Amino acid sequence: MFDLLIMAVSWILMIVGCVFVVSGAVGLVRMPDLYTRLHAASLTDTGGTIVIGLALIIQAVFIFDNNMAAIKMGLIVFFTLFTGPTASHALAKTALLCGQVPVDADGKPILDSPEEATLLARSRPADYRHGEDAKRIEDEMDALNKKRRGEG
Amino acid sequence: METLVADVLLTFLVVIAVGIIVLRDLLAAVILLGAYSLTAAGAFVVMDAVDVAFTEAAVGSGISTILFLGALSFTKHEQKPRGNDSWVAVLFVVVTGALLIYGTLDMPYYGSATSAAQTNPDLAVRFLQQSGSEVGPPNIVTSVLASYRGYDTLGETMVVFAAGMAVLSLLGLKRRRPGLEAPEDAPGDTPGETPADALDEPPTSRHT
Amino acid sequence: MFIAGILALLVTMALTLWRTLLGPTLFDRLLAVNSFGTKTVLLIAVYGFMTGRPDFLDIALVYALINFVGTIAVLKFFEYDDLGSGKYQEDDF
Repeated sequence: MFDLLIMAVSWILMIVGCVFVVSGAVGLVRMPDLYTRLHAASLTDTGGTIVIGLALIIQAVFIFDNNMAAIKMGLIVFFTLFTGPTASHALAKTALLCGQVPVDADGKPILDSPEEATLLARSRPADYRHGEDAKRIEDEMDALNKKRRGEG
Repeated sequence: METLVADVLLTFLVVIAVGIIVLRDLLAAVILLGAYSLTAAGAFVVMDAVDVAFTEAAVGSGISTILFLGALSFTKHEQKPRGNDSWVAVLFVVVTGALLIYGTLDMPYYGSATSAAQTNPDLAVRFLQQSGSEVGPPNIVTSVLASYRGYDTLGETMVVFAAGMAVLSLLGLKRRRPGLEAPEDAPGDTPGETPADALDEPPTSRHT
Repeated sequence: MFIAGILALLVTMALTLWRTLLGPTLFDRLLAVNSFGTKTVLLIAVYGFMTGRPDFLDIALVYALINFVGTIAVLKFFEYDDLGSGKYQEDDF
């Protein structure tokens, strides 16, 4: 009875993890734009790793009776919990810094130019850390807006 | 099932290799090389070569990605369009590849029952039991590599050494980056000047 | 159970590989390769359980960390066109 329960729980976790992982890959292929792809891939990566890892930990403890494997699997899940979101954040930030403009649902760009994306990416930490940097970036942003208004 | 996983991973390797050849962007090729070594290491794990997989993960995916990036920072990302490939080069590459594939025909197939390891089962037992008293190191792989097949290892080391010497002779040992030679003629080092003169030029600011 | 997981992971790896080869920008490729590496980690773990020897999880652990380090190194290269040879180090940290 207990074995049956354990098998049922790990089966369900494994199937849920497989659904996470495959849907993330489908989103990675089908989404229209870098940031939506990032959203699809990073969330399902971390979630799928956690769920499949839980299924494997349950198997290791109760079926294989191998606590060392359970600890190692737990470490993998633990590290993925930190490294996955960090890598995704760094990727999105660098993409914005290099001038990748996000688009909305109709495929229209949200920002007007790649330079504005760069300024947006640079402004956030500067706001918190260096007062002069924030001011300088705001000035650059104003100059950019003024130039664009003058052109338009 | 094991064969299926190994086959699919090897197919991935072929696909990634073709992608690396086709892509013009060198940075994308470096990124794909990381995926290549991860897949190769996965295939090694599936084929029970765990130590090789460790080496492949650490060296192929970790160090060489960073080394390639360091090399790329001295050059451009885009590959130059090539001219016509000469027929001699193509012939040379094809013949060399055919010779390598011909060389693999002597090897036993994956999991073959007639391989040397299967037909001499007492050899592994002998290594396990007597390598400690015959050679010394507690790690049996080390004593096999360094003693039982010591001449093979010597040949491998010579090949690696020759490759390193070739790379060094191509790069040239004497040429240095200009930043490293700077202290010899830096203004602060000459006796006639005060160190304050060296600070006259404005510090370089970032993001300019 | 493990066979189902391995099949799903192989399909996922094929799809991410497709995005890696297709990806219009370098960031798409990098994202797909990062995802591919995570799937490789999971594949090795599930494969170890499937063959009944979950002792090779060390390799999966090493891969998870190396994958992260590689991604961050490439991103740093993107941002500075350099791996930190001293040009930006003084006031960036």
